Amino acid sequence: MRRMKAFALPGLIAGLALSTAAAAFPIKAGQGTYQDPGITDDTIKIGLFAPLSGPARAYGEDPLNAARMWYEMINEMGGIWGRKIELVIEDDRCTANDLVAAVKKLVEQDQVFMLNGGSCSAAAVAAQEYVLRNKVPYVMLNASGDGALYPPTDYIFGGISISQRAVGGIAVDFVVKHFNAKKIGYINHDDAYGAWNLETAEYMAKEHGVSLSVESINPNITDVTAPMLKIRAANPDVLILTTYARPAALILKRAHELGFKGPIVLTVTGTANLKQLVENVGTKDAFANFYVQDVINDSPDGPKQRWIIDMYKKRYPDLAAKPDHPTPYMPYGVASAQTVTHALMLAGPNPTRESVARILRTLTFESGVMAGMISFGENDRAGQESSIFLKFDGETQVLQPGVYTSRWTYKP
Amino acid sequence: MTRASYIVAAVAAGALLVLLPLLGSGYIVYLANLMLVYIVLALGLNILIGETGQFGLAHVAFYGIGIYTTAILTGRFDVPFLIAAAAGVLLAGAIGLLLGYVSFRMRDIYLALSTFAFGEAMQWVYRSWDAVTNGPNGMRIKPAELFGFRIATDHDAYPFVLATTIIIIAATVWLRRSRLGRAFRAVRESEPAALAMGVDVRRAKVIAFALSAAYAGAAGGMFASFSSFIHPDSLGFTETILVVTMIVVGGLGSIPGAIVGALVLGAVQELLRQAPSYQEILYGVILILFMMYLPKGLAGAVGNLARRAG
Repeated sequence: MRRMKAFALPGLIAGLALSTAAAAFPIKAGQGTYQDPGITDDTIKIGLFAPLSGPARAYGEDPLNAARMWYEMINEMGGIWGRKIELVIEDDRCTANDLVAAVKKLVEQDQVFMLNGGSCSAAAVAAQEYVLRNKVPYVMLNASGDGALYPPTDYIFGGISISQRAVGGIAVDFVVKHFNAKKIGYINHDDAYGAWNLETAEYMAKEHGVSLSVESINPNITDVTAPMLKIRAANPDVLILTTYARPAALILKRAHELGFKGPIVLTVTGTANLKQLVENVGTKDAFANFYVQDVINDSPDGPKQRWIIDMYKKRYPDLAAKPDHPTPYMPYGVASAQTVTHALMLAGPNPTRESVARILRTLTFESGVMAGMISFGENDRAGQESSIFLKFDGETQVLQPGVYTSRWTYKP
Repeated sequence: MTRASYIVAAVAAGALLVLLPLLGSGYIVYLANLMLVYIVLALGLNILIGETGQFGLAHVAFYGIGIYTTAILTGRFDVPFLIAAAAGVLLAGAIGLLLGYVSFRMRDIYLALSTFAFGEAMQWVYRSWDAVTNGPNGMRIKPAELFGFRIATDHDAYPFVLATTIIIIAATVWLRRSRLGRAFRAVRESEPAALAMGVDVRRAKVIAFALSAAYAGAAGGMFASFSSFIHPDSLGFTETILVVTMIVVGGLGSIPGAIVGALVLGAVQELLRQAPSYQEILYGVILILFMMYLPKGLAGAVGNLARRAG
């Protein structure tokens, strides 16, 4: 803990301050009966879920570990308003049916007070109707969850890492400001993610007065020659990729073979394992002019991220000793759990589901983890809409100056 | 097992099914609804693979047709739920008939591959036909209304799902005992022998495809009665394999086997969620043990026990 304090930790300090204030507050959490399930004088139950098995495990396990370590830390400091956080953990397998089953179990069987989970957007959207009907505050873990965030609802909050709608707009903003790009090549997926990020990319391109040459590809594509030839024919100043890692590797390889020299920017959708990306591309030369988007407040090994990494190593020494751990997505879980604890804290000593949801609707705080503030608003249920960029040469990442923020807003 | 013990078991199961919504939480009733859907899916696939011996792997595609047809007709055209669900059954059956007609000359691996391709193509359609299916965003399903009663919860949907399942089980038992059911089994055992016995093999195969698809379409309508969302990712090959596993574990060609297989696999899937680190291994071990020690499935094992006991 001493070591953590040595760093500038706005989020942690905010959490500590709130916890200390709550612990010292003369009003002990109300005694007696509570109108909502999952809350007693001494505990508050939170349903935490993510894909913990199957191929999507890589997206959810470490963010869930991170959220858990944040909750444990809060408990060690006395809990929230004297109540210890009791976690009920479920595996949602990243599928709609399993996530709905997990949510129903948590709400009806385990009687949790609120929900914190979900790493897969489509699956998270499946729970929307149930969550709204039961009026349970639901904060997504690291799913972008755009499908459940727009149009905004009263009980669902997500995009804590970043919403897909923010991803595309920010990438365009970066290439215009950083490279003075006028013609932008843009390769996205022909799925929901692709449609969402393209929407804001087009918005930002229009705002900057630059052109966008778009190629939408299937996430399972095996030959990217055709889209790359079309992109090359458009002769863009810079190429943005909002694809997953596997298609990104194919594109980088082919771009290198075709002699594309312009900067290539890969958004956070494809940056889960950069070491693997280099291996898949097969040559570091393809990364000569390559940039990656990240949504945390520093490079992964930068000083601002140190406290999270140290905390993770302390809590999970065995896991931290494994290769590629913590995963790049790990810190997102901390920000998501912070969102929950901040809302519970601000809801006062006798929180109800309704009061917590009301707090969440206008909650704004500095996480000390993510690139921008976590902030919700009237028509905005996506918490984080900023990112940083790093130049990656196949080995090292160098932080580029500036934090870029999406200016797209949802119009009801 | 004596006749009396069968009756006692049936009465106990019936009482459990009736009391379930009174005793179980929404989560338990949701699982029950899902398992009843699995039962109908398994019964349908059992007609094709277990009864007729045709290795079709497009079952979940027809399930999707049932779900999407119901969701689109109720959501966009305000068609009453029962009519929409019936339309899903008919459409799935009609496309199944067509697929059966096209592929009736194929056998074994070739039939499996061609139906697999159809299943994959249908998932692509669900994922790509944005204007109709809402593509990769998934589609919200409007809450069903039955006789003026709005189905808002899993408890509300349970009587409909249960009643439909019972009707379908009864129809399946009747079908098995019918002339057509005997024709299916004759085709499964030997096509030349069936032909020699005067069975119209082509007709039997095509009808088996259509019926199997219609069952899947019905399962889709049932799913749409209690679920509020469908995503194309839920209609992939993994789901197909799950249903195939259900009828294999239960016992190919057996109605009780398909039912028990669906219940056991459905329960195992849910229980294994509590052991995320080991579930793939445990699932694999369970399947291997079944194949090694119960090659005729649960139905075969229960039959052996009954014979020994009585």
